[in-house]
Amino acid sequence: MSIHPPEPTAPSAVSDDEMRLHFEVQRLYAVEARLLDQHRYADWLELFAEDLHYWAPVRTNRLRRQQALADGSPGEVAIFDETKASLAWRIRRFDSGMAWAEDPPSRTRHLISNVLVREGEAPGEYVAESAFLCYRNRLEREVDLYAGGRTDLLRRTGDGGLLIARRTILLDQNVLLAKNLSTFL
Amino acid sequence: MTTTPARPSDRPAGVPEPSVDVGGYVDLDRGLIDRTIFRDDVLYRQELRRVFAPSWLFLAHESQFAKPGDFFTTYMGEDPVIVTMGRDRKLRAFLNACRHRGMRVCRADAGATKAFTCSYHGWAYDTSGKLINVPNGEDYPAHFEQEKWGLVEVAQLDTYKGLVFATWNPEAPPLREALGGLGWYLDAMLDRDPEGTEVVGGVHKWVLEGNWKLAAEQFASDWYHVNISHASALMVMSPTGKGPKTEIVQTPGRQYADPLGHGHGFPTHPKSRFDDRVVHGWYDYEALRERLGDARVEGPMTTGHGTVFPNFSYLPVNGSIRVWHPRGLDRMEVWAWTLVDRSMPDEVKDAQRIYNLRTFGPSGIFEQDDGENWSEVQATAHGFMAGSMTLNYQMGLGLEGEDGVHPGTTGHLYSDGAARGFYTRWRDLMNTPAWHEKAAGQVTEKDTP
Repeated sequence: MSIHPPEPTAPSAVSDDEMRLHFEVQRLYAVEARLLDQHRYADWLELFAEDLHYWAPVRTNRLRRQQALADGSPGEVAIFDETKASLAWRIRRFDSGMAWAEDPPSRTRHLISNVLVREGEAPGEYVAESAFLCYRNRLEREVDLYAGGRTDLLRRTGDGGLLIARRTILLDQNVLLAKNLSTFL
Repeated sequence: MTTTPARPSDRPAGVPEPSVDVGGYVDLDRGLIDRTIFRDDVLYRQELRRVFAPSWLFLAHESQFAKPGDFFTTYMGEDPVIVTMGRDRKLRAFLNACRHRGMRVCRADAGATKAFTCSYHGWAYDTSGKLINVPNGEDYPAHFEQEKWGLVEVAQLDTYKGLVFATWNPEAPPLREALGGLGWYLDAMLDRDPEGTEVVGGVHKWVLEGNWKLAAEQFASDWYHVNISHASALMVMSPTGKGPKTEIVQTPGRQYADPLGHGHGFPTHPKSRFDDRVVHGWYDYEALRERLGDARVEGPMTTGHGTVFPNFSYLPVNGSIRVWHPRGLDRMEVWAWTLVDRSMPDEVKDAQRIYNLRTFGPSGIFEQDDGENWSEVQATAHGFMAGSMTLNYQMGLGLEGEDGVHPGTTGHLYSDGAARGFYTRWRDLMNTPAWHEKAAGQVTEKDTP
């Protein structure tokens, strides 16, 4: 999946199907954000397909003529490069009772906006772009802000729901401005 | 009259700041350290002058430079530097500062270029540091000596098995000498493969509130924290998923403390293995034993940790090499590369890359908890009582010696031995006028306490 999908074309009129789809995706993201902010990670993981690829490349400062290299490529160092199984592994750690980076737990608020959805290449697949702002407040005064964009491949399931099959996260930071990343985006 | 000052215009003229005798803050024979060294700004400024400026510092990996013009920008202490391959294919490092007004002449992290042009007034430098263009040059006086205003170059640059180091100090001993006895241990990571090592594309960078020494010291000597700080990670990685096995908690091991401040700690195990299944499956342990010897395969090549004084650290099994850039007294920036052996097939390199990012990337299941510890320690270091406490560095005191297997002075795995060595070196450098102070003729043999 390309990091930068083509610009969605502005339709002259909005169809009922499009409104329905847009609403469905917005609601999915709101539910997802709530699960993350409630630290219900096992439930959060159920929103993803079994063949998930969850990826957050690093962003480098490049000369304008070398901008093509500014976003990390597959196979390079990344903040996340996960499968559903490896996310489950990370989540089990939080349940160990000894994951001190989140004990006491942080307060987070995931805000998801700027949602744009279009048909994917395969039937029943959609490409959804969104922007995120994740505020983390920890212990007494620690504040971290993680902002960026996500591009998801969503897949229609047999029961009519949607699963997230691919997620590419472009965090809008070069040096990660936090001591760690102990939530998900 | 000349426009070029009498002293070399690219070297410090001497420092008006006071230097403090730090002998009273560290009593290493008794394993005692005053917490002041982590929270005092005068000492921090002195560290930049006397610890960072005179020492060999890690810059990059050779594999980041394939062709002339390739560059990478990093820091030496708080000084921005450019590392680049010249047309002669030689690696050079320069202060990333225009000689005209001091602006960074390169603001990209990496790339390829023919010249570094300052975007302020247009002074341009080639990849050998030479000043090649001065716009409106006709307005400079006739005695303006353009050839004397090239980029400030490091005094020495050298590589050790792929790792590029440099120093501003013309009097520093050669790199190999400066690594002391650590080379034998370091080679358990750098010399497993006859083809050598390379780094995966990209660098993890993150910032945290913590004095740089907290991390450098921990990687030199601290296995002790593993069982507690990383209990959750050990639990999910254990076969049962229920908690680290007793063998891990009680693991035997050794810790090497180098007189030059370096350290390397490691569990010892007759069946050394890489943690990642794919990487483990690829290694020919018999060949490694032949190449490196049993003692290294069963020791420093295991899940160990190390620091090259002052601020370069590594984890052989995870493939993490990193620098702790000081960013002021209370802050450090971590820059971490992923190291792989050149001969590894692509899928093995990728397995090592992924294992490293999931364990020791900024979201890694180990790294998350380290960041929490260092920032928490620093957050309370400025209280009057808390910041003046004497800290205990007595673990393993009196238990160090020659063990007949590992060269140099080693102690138990659970020990503060290499930390005591780290701070011995730190104290000695802090109390010794650096080359630039001597050149300025402003120091006496001993500073005023």
